[in-house]
Amino acid sequence: MSKSVIAYTLEHCVRCMKCLHACPTGAISMQDNRIHVDKSDCINCGRCVRACHSKGMVSQGSTLEDIQNYEYTVCIVPTAILSRCNSKDDLQELFYAIKMLGFDEVVEHTDIDAQLMKEALLISESAKKFNFIESFCPVVNELISQKYSILGENVLQLQYPSEICAKQIRKRLPGKKVGIFNLCECEANLALAKYPYGNEQYEVDHALSLTDMFPLIRPILHQGKMDVALCIEGLQTCSVQSRPQCPEVLIADGFEKISEILDESEFGILNRYHLLTLYSCYNGCIGGHLLWGSSYLVNEFVDKLKDIPRKPIADLPFEEIFSNEYLQNEDTRTFSEKMEAFQKVNAILEELPGYDCGACGKQTCRSMAEEIVKGERSLKSCRILNKGGEQ
Amino acid sequence: MISVFHKDYEVIRDDFANAGTASSDIKHTLSSMGFQSGVLRRIAIASYEAEINLLIHAWGGHIDLDVFDNGMVQLIFKDPGPGIPNLEKAMTPGWSTANQKAREMGFGAGMGLPNMKNVADKFDIQSSPAGTTIKMAFAEDSK
Repeated sequence: MSKSVIAYTLEHCVRCMKCLHACPTGAISMQDNRIHVDKSDCINCGRCVRACHSKGMVSQGSTLEDIQNYEYTVCIVPTAILSRCNSKDDLQELFYAIKMLGFDEVVEHTDIDAQLMKEALLISESAKKFNFIESFCPVVNELISQKYSILGENVLQLQYPSEICAKQIRKRLPGKKVGIFNLCECEANLALAKYPYGNEQYEVDHALSLTDMFPLIRPILHQGKMDVALCIEGLQTCSVQSRPQCPEVLIADGFEKISEILDESEFGILNRYHLLTLYSCYNGCIGGHLLWGSSYLVNEFVDKLKDIPRKPIADLPFEEIFSNEYLQNEDTRTFSEKMEAFQKVNAILEELPGYDCGACGKQTCRSMAEEIVKGERSLKSCRILNKGGEQ
Repeated sequence: MISVFHKDYEVIRDDFANAGTASSDIKHTLSSMGFQSGVLRRIAIASYEAEINLLIHAWGGHIDLDVFDNGMVQLIFKDPGPGIPNLEKAMTPGWSTANQKAREMGFGAGMGLPNMKNVADKFDIQSSPAGTTIKMAFAEDSK
């Protein structure tokens, strides 16, 4: 499981609890006037960051200083960033500018994106009993593992493009101390790096936030050009509008919409679709919150990049694009243990008002009841029962 | 076998706006009890199909959810009529009597009863003009 990227900075917090109510997994709570983000429950969707008006919630990436720790450094450019280029010249200048930040090499992975989309479509053709779920979006995958456990086996165990790309880079540069930096368009992709988040299993060493990097890239744009070749099929995967439409594939974007689709999918009523392709951000990855500008203005980016030299769809072997890691968290308790815990929570829940007001610092009365069962809080924490007192 | 948890739901005829709310609650309740994804999936599919049947075919109805001390989940769907005239046909995949309104809303594919029988560990159906009762039981990871 990935570690949380979302951090809380005390000095800006006005304790309005907007973040607490915005969290889809109940990972945020408040105790002793401090906001806590539960790292095991946080799916890095960034909804709390957007809900926070005092800029107390932040997502933090690595800095360029880390480049010095390596003999050779490579920057992986997300496909979504290419949507902000209006022409071949724009793109070549952007890649050159990124290289000038201090990298030895700048790579993109549209060919890998294209192979992943192709494999997903191929596998889904065999779907009879249920639909497969394909997602390049870590938020979707984490959301399913947290809240839609029924759909765990529907998820195609594809690795993330940046991970596959990083592995390929290491393969062709053996014996060197290679530092791989991923430029990220969203909080969730930041989480897919070793540092500073401590995810040892990942191949990407450092995640850089585009929000932090853009001010450094902007002044050095137009200084030179770099040769870049793209795979057009891969370019299409980062946006909902540009993905090839197909009646058996349901493509959806936006957190509310994908939640509704996952809900319905659990009942088995969307089975006429063989494949669900889901993006947490509106318009797909091009709507990533760390990207500059509006994703509603870049609908024609694939057309604008048509004269870029092409590269073919990647043809990597199966074992290099699939992962064996299962999303499911196994519950090892016996039935009577589960039932006992459930009944205890229910008994306390009957004493609580049930308004889910959040004033106690937990998102719902149920999550408060669970805390009380664990002995971490008491009924005194309920501000309604105690007429505004304690917390 | 003693029931250690009971909850019941009322389903109103033609209440399409709330189609699936009872099944949703059943799913979430059992999920918070700690039931695993395999059995939850089967229960979700069966309860949704049966709930929709109460809404589109029957004059509404009642759902009883029981969890027994051995971990068995039982669902009983009871309606006051009009009953299923030909039970054998109704159990045939693809055979449907759903009206135009229901079909326009994407229901009535004729897979409801066969699906329920398929996913449940025990399935029993009794029908007369005075009403239909479907009794299903599910055990963890048995299928």
